[in-house]
Amino acid sequence: MKFPMKGVIMQQPKEIFVKIDRCVGCRSCTMACAVEHSESKTLFGAISETPIPKSRVYVEWVAPDKKVPLVCRNCDEAPCMSACISGAITKNDEGILITDMDKCIGCWTCVMVCPYGVIGRHLETHKAYRCDRCPDRDIPACVEACPTKALVYDTVESYSASMRKHASIEITRSDRE
Amino acid sequence: MTDHEKIKERSIDPSVHQMLERANTLGLETAWDRYEAMLPLCGFGELGVCCRNCNMGPCRISPFDDGPQKGICGATADIIVARNLIRMIAGGAAAHSDHGRDLAHTLLMTAEGKSSGYEIKDETKLAALANEYGITVADRKKEDIAFDLAKAVYAEFGKQEGFLKFTRRAPEKRIKMWQKFGIDPRGVDREIVEIMHRTHIGVDNDPVNLILQGLKASIADGWGGSTIATEISDVLFGTPTPVRSQANLGVLKQDHVNIIVHGHEPVLSEMIVAAAGELDLVSLAQKKGAKGINVTGICCTGNEICMRHGIPMAGNFLQQELALITGAVEAMIVDVQCIMPSIGPLSECFHTKIISTSPKAKFPSATHIEFHEEHGIETARVIVKTAVENFANRNQDRVMIPEHKTDCMVGFSAEAIINALGGTPDPLIDAIKSGNVKGIAGVVGCNNPKIKHDHGHVALVRELLKNNVLVTTTGCNAMACAKEGLMLPESAEMAGDGLKNVCQKLGIPPVLHMGSCVDISRILTVCAAIANALNVDISDLPVAGAAPEWMSEKAVSIGAYVVSSGIYTVLGTVPPVLGSKLVTEVLTKNANDVVGAAFAVETDPVKGASLMIDHINKKREALGI
Amino acid sequence: MEDYYQYVIVGASAAGMAAAHTIRQCDHEVSIGIFTDEMDAPYFRPLIPFLVSGKKKAADMSMIGSGPYVEKNITINTGMRVIGLNISQKQIVLTDRSTVSWDKLLLATGSHPYMPKNIDGLFTSGVFALRTLSDARQMAKYVEQTKHAIMLGGGILNLKTAFALLEKGLNVTLVVYSPEVLSQLMEPEDAFLIRKALDKAGLKIITGVNAKAVLSEKGKVKGIMLDNGSELPCQMVCIGKGVRANVNFLADSGISVNKGIIADKYAACNLPDVFTAGDVAVTYDPVSGAPMMTALWTNAVEMGRCAGKNMVGIKTIYSGTFGILNATHVADEPFVSMGTVHTNSVDYEVYRYHKNNSYRKLVFSPDGKQLIGAVFVGNIQNAGLYRYVIREKMNINHLKQNLIDHSLHYGHLLK
Repeated sequence: MKFPMKGVIMQQPKEIFVKIDRCVGCRSCTMACAVEHSESKTLFGAISETPIPKSRVYVEWVAPDKKVPLVCRNCDEAPCMSACISGAITKNDEGILITDMDKCIGCWTCVMVCPYGVIGRHLETHKAYRCDRCPDRDIPACVEACPTKALVYDTVESYSASMRKHASIEITRSDRE
Repeated sequence: MTDHEKIKERSIDPSVHQMLERANTLGLETAWDRYEAMLPLCGFGELGVCCRNCNMGPCRISPFDDGPQKGICGATADIIVARNLIRMIAGGAAAHSDHGRDLAHTLLMTAEGKSSGYEIKDETKLAALANEYGITVADRKKEDIAFDLAKAVYAEFGKQEGFLKFTRRAPEKRIKMWQKFGIDPRGVDREIVEIMHRTHIGVDNDPVNLILQGLKASIADGWGGSTIATEISDVLFGTPTPVRSQANLGVLKQDHVNIIVHGHEPVLSEMIVAAAGELDLVSLAQKKGAKGINVTGICCTGNEICMRHGIPMAGNFLQQELALITGAVEAMIVDVQCIMPSIGPLSECFHTKIISTSPKAKFPSATHIEFHEEHGIETARVIVKTAVENFANRNQDRVMIPEHKTDCMVGFSAEAIINALGGTPDPLIDAIKSGNVKGIAGVVGCNNPKIKHDHGHVALVRELLKNNVLVTTTGCNAMACAKEGLMLPESAEMAGDGLKNVCQKLGIPPVLHMGSCVDISRILTVCAAIANALNVDISDLPVAGAAPEWMSEKAVSIGAYVVSSGIYTVLGTVPPVLGSKLVTEVLTKNANDVVGAAFAVETDPVKGASLMIDHINKKREALGI
Repeated sequence: MEDYYQYVIVGASAAGMAAAHTIRQCDHEVSIGIFTDEMDAPYFRPLIPFLVSGKKKAADMSMIGSGPYVEKNITINTGMRVIGLNISQKQIVLTDRSTVSWDKLLLATGSHPYMPKNIDGLFTSGVFALRTLSDARQMAKYVEQTKHAIMLGGGILNLKTAFALLEKGLNVTLVVYSPEVLSQLMEPEDAFLIRKALDKAGLKIITGVNAKAVLSEKGKVKGIMLDNGSELPCQMVCIGKGVRANVNFLADSGISVNKGIIADKYAACNLPDVFTAGDVAVTYDPVSGAPMMTALWTNAVEMGRCAGKNMVGIKTIYSGTFGILNATHVADEPFVSMGTVHTNSVDYEVYRYHKNNSYRKLVFSPDGKQLIGAVFVGNIQNAGLYRYVIREKMNINHLKQNLIDHSLHYGHLLK
């Protein structure tokens, strides 16, 4: 039995990684995300738009002191894509999950099955929305806005490599001291 | 974009380009670099919806509805924005007023014979002010008059009840309007303290009430602290009269000891100028190999000594680091306000000494030589000597002075303008009535890396001139106009025909330098005089104000008092109020119902000028001219 | 149509298509043939009320090319009904007695609407049980001659259809036997916000009664008679009384059937190389372990994907079906219902919370250590996390307050 890679993506897609220990909960990411997903694309314009633009990134708090930014993970076997009863959710060539707003009927089944809780419900348009990895930008707005570099835009391979490097330095620390 | 293109985008001034290229080459950081690194700026701060007034927080109100809509104490965005705004006014009013207080102190010391190096230069002004305060002048020594005046003016700061004397220069209608809304200030310090009280948690939680107190404190600045600063400076150092000078970094001299005075109070800069002219020190400089001592100024203290002595202006706010990067400065002597703490570390890349002088203002890597009026000229000599001796440490090979410098004519105090008009404001009023001069604009304020350096200033002024609006200017805007060559009588060529005509007849530039930022009080005085002559309120006059590149809290206070005085004001950088629809509406619309004027925000300078021109035309129509 | 495919799938709806696409994702070479007795190409069944309201066209509901259904070279044979199986020969038998051979077989024949035996006169013109696109087309046409429609049954499908009819300008009455609508999905107290929204939207609702008969005149519906004796005139009747699995064709096949096709945790049937998924399958409730059948799109897709993986040899356990796993919005009121939400008979620990326009109910096991069910109305934030907590049978002591407060977020699960 052969298992060739389905739709091999030529360049490795980048993910948004979160360094939780660096998040200070300032929510600059949510602001930048909302502005990026507005009509006017400026802060001063965005605040007066109707409907008010929505952030696709969420910052949650875990007592006593952890702040956790959360965003759509673009799961390979996305539960939302399987669950969508109108076939509105597809994965594009870059591996990003996209909801076709014309097809979305606002049934919120995707919200119900998302294990991260990162699909939002747009009250005015009755459509589900999620992080789209800012297709019009080189670097997602939230990553750029983060003042502590808690959000990292990188490929899985490269990010894991940097984690390994960091870990190996820690592991061999006692040898060097 | 290449570095080169980026540098070109940062300013319209070629001397700035040159110095930024040098900074790039030498790996030196400037305010522009730090601005870029700071981007994106915090959106909550930009909107004014971040509150740090108590330790239950810090709180922020998200404009995008998915977060809390009230601070922990229950303050809405409207309350938070209003509180933050008037605290900015408090900061700015405090700065200007403290400057005024210091001048009053110097006058007092001088009157008592306790100061060294100071004298009462303008006895006419002294008498005029004394009259205003009801102090007897006839047959009295100037020192005695000065003593009484100093005491009277000093008292304005600590007043608890009553009113500030200089506010009564405003038209009756205006004073009544202030009284009606409870914003006729009682005392300079009191109004500022009350802002701090009201903005404390759990005091004033009505945005409109808060803003009214802000206006009140700003009036205590504009018609109080700032006017005191201007008038007393005139008494001590002379009321400016037209004088020629030069502006931009090219005024630094390769073969001289270069001393730059930076900051705000002529109490210091006048002494430095005096000391630097003394024979001993000049000889010392020559012994060290220099041809002489070259004093130039940056920021408002530079404006002060330029207005009075024609001392050249090296540059405005954003050029302070660039002056050091020339490598040609022996000492930058600073007192208070608008001095970047970055200049200390920057100076260590060269031989330059940063010398701080005020006990209120100390800086990293600066040499502190504390300056007090009791030993004014002596301390100034010590400071200048330090600079002169530093000349030996200059590496002439590392000197790069841009060649750019522009001639200008400055020194247009209110008195000088009236003089130029032939002794009465009538010629100007007639010119306005006839339409040759459509109106008068006051274009003022700082630099800000958010706006292409000097572009905001110059583009706006050029547009006004084209449309026959006479421009009065102070502060960093004045320096920008001077550098651009707009401050010569010849520059009337750039004006529309009507204005050109008038300027040529009177022999004045179309852009009149009226001094430092506290000297905006001069503009108020002129407006009051014209309004009184025409028997109208200032808000009826075809005048408008603009601060195209403002950044400081002082500018917020100025904007507030200019609007409170009835003058429509256009801001070129967005103030942190958009987080509250209510506050924004009050400032841009409802203010009209209270003080007969309002703010507008327009980042494009040409559009900003159009707003002012439209406003001026509306006022002309209402006056029937 | 070939007479042999490596993978034969009977049924071209959620489970069948999900399985087919999963197989194709794993292997680009094998032959896959789907057989459906419907004439229409595969479509998203839950969308058909939109055909009645006119908000969507049939083409908008097509599965092929939508969502994850983008794989190539899957043969779909429409209008082909399977009437029997020949397990020993590994063949399916079609209506014309022709056979098709397979290496692996998936039975995903779904279910059909249950027509209650205790209501007379159901087979009259104007009586509908909305299940297929074809049904929807007929109902849409019949709207033209309908002023008043009566829906029998207060389930989710009937509610959606009711709204579709309201949008066409009809008067609509819901006749519900239970004390409240959506009785299958939640308890009466849970549904009050939804009921309020439905009333506000103009839906007339009668509870506690059942229809006894459909009255007709000249072969067309003219009204219904309730079991309390009263008559309600109408021109259309819509039956929403649940579904039954399509298993008749398996009569002599040897496949174990008990109301539905019995599946193990690998979605396999009792006979080798035969799998099942979707409405037709009997799977199990992850919390209680009891056998469970559901008629839910989401579950069908998940089970279909699981079956597909197992069919290509990737052993994948199906984590079980919640009996209830529903999310939708009716009349602008979104709601989510999952797990065990009927609490009357057992000693569960139950929390109810109502504030402004939001309601939630959380059901914990009697010992209070596990979350076994949840209902959210109005505010459905993070519902997916609750599903996860229920399905994984997590010990939730440290999370309990967050669950009750509806402040649970993914950060909590990271610890």
